[in-house]
Amino acid sequence: MRELTVSRPVFILLTAFFCAALSIIYLPILVMIIFSFNSGRYQTLPFREPTFEWYVKLVADSSFVDSFFTSLFMASLASIAATALGFLAAYAFSKAKIPFYSLFFGLILSPLVIPIILIGIGMRLQIVSVGIEPALWLVLVGQTLYVLPLAVINLKNRIDKIPKSIEEAGISLGSNKLHLIVFILVPICAPTIFATILLTFTFSFDEFVIAYFLTNFEITLPIRIWTSLVTGFEPKINAAGSAVFMFSLILGFIAQFILLFKQSGKQNGVEPRET
Amino acid sequence: MIFLSLTTETGIGFDNFIYFFSTPYLIQALVRSLIIASASTLIAAIISWPLAYFVVFCVKEKWRPLFLLAILAPFWTSFTIRAFSWQLVLSDNGVISWLIEKATGSSVALGILYTMNASIFGLALFGSMLCTFTLYGALVSIDKKLVEAASTLGARPYQIFRDIILPLALPGWLAGIVLSFIVCIGDYAVPTLLGGGLKPVLAQIMLSILKGTYNLSQAATIATILAVTVIICASPLMFFRLFNRRRASA
Repeated sequence: MRELTVSRPVFILLTAFFCAALSIIYLPILVMIIFSFNSGRYQTLPFREPTFEWYVKLVADSSFVDSFFTSLFMASLASIAATALGFLAAYAFSKAKIPFYSLFFGLILSPLVIPIILIGIGMRLQIVSVGIEPALWLVLVGQTLYVLPLAVINLKNRIDKIPKSIEEAGISLGSNKLHLIVFILVPICAPTIFATILLTFTFSFDEFVIAYFLTNFEITLPIRIWTSLVTGFEPKINAAGSAVFMFSLILGFIAQFILLFKQSGKQNGVEPRET
Repeated sequence: MIFLSLTTETGIGFDNFIYFFSTPYLIQALVRSLIIASASTLIAAIISWPLAYFVVFCVKEKWRPLFLLAILAPFWTSFTIRAFSWQLVLSDNGVISWLIEKATGSSVALGILYTMNASIFGLALFGSMLCTFTLYGALVSIDKKLVEAASTLGARPYQIFRDIILPLALPGWLAGIVLSFIVCIGDYAVPTLLGGGLKPVLAQIMLSILKGTYNLSQAATIATILAVTVIICASPLMFFRLFNRRRASA
């Protein structure tokens, strides 16, 4: 149903504005993808004959490939760790009575409202003052903390919707707390957990500042791309950028799709609680 | 973390802060950070209204998430890559100037890339995604019955907007504004790739200190000043929000 509040001219105006905004958002990305198939050495039009040259060179460049696998590895670990921790935290925030609830919840969410560059700098200063050498495992810790709020928010939204009666039924049928979480709550939340892993994965995969500040030598893909952008242009970057963009876009889209569509409807026989 | 960056200062005293405020270069960078962040947040705040309004009031309920996703999708892809892709479009021999040349027959130097305007543009785009998202959340939860009731009682469309929609959507909008200001003032990628390195913002200077001269206490000073700036700028909005909530619950 169309809403009563919008009259026809306003509707047309808003639609036009929306389409314009969409085209502005996607235009440069489209341009980048087109350029990644351009055989010319310089990024100027007109377009020369199409080529896969840059993609081939990209795959042949071991620094790109290595950093890609580093990123993949880090993001996988960070997303799984953040989702696991996030699930436990979300469960606690959702069901348990915690003293100073809003204080703790605010603290968990605080990385969202601090400029990430400050988080990165703070971590760097901290490890230096404690006397730890910058290393890859620190990036893992940092990125896990960075994506944790996302995981907590998503999972808490889901857990909040599980009716209390399900837990009570489980307990009266003889399951203890651990059994309850592992065999009842986790399966109910499975789609959300999957989506959360994907979402935190994309954020951690694209994360630059924390990785940049906390390592010296092992580089992740965003650092590799950044370095080549700042030091001088390589046409490979178009290809790398397009590939990374599509990769993140698809993962993120799947994740959001699950979160926005699956969650609102009926799921595993559990109706969301009406309030 | 912020506490730590403070303590690194006090060990040496306030020399670093004195140095900061007596160096015109750094003060200019602070002012530049503020101008860029405020301008882009302002633009984002305005743009977010028609976008969120369209998704909530012009799209069938079933399709809303899809339209929202279309706007938000680039949000979770790499910041750096998106800033770079704008370079391709805006540069003097980029797509836009090529199009102008084709259309008018004369070549023009666009002169947008590596200016403050380019930074503002890039960040405003990003901020508007954030604002649209939070504003969408606020608009979608408005009870449609209120709107219908008002219109059957004879309220004009602008009255409905002013008396019902605006006050109810205000908290979400303000949250978006605060978030996008925070993101904009702490960003390094857009100012570097679109704004150029000649007129850096604070975030860029921090980055170059850490990877260049490696003067940690200086970096900590800048970080602290940036953090304080963010808190000062965000707090009026936060207070307003709290106040608003109190009034709503009273």
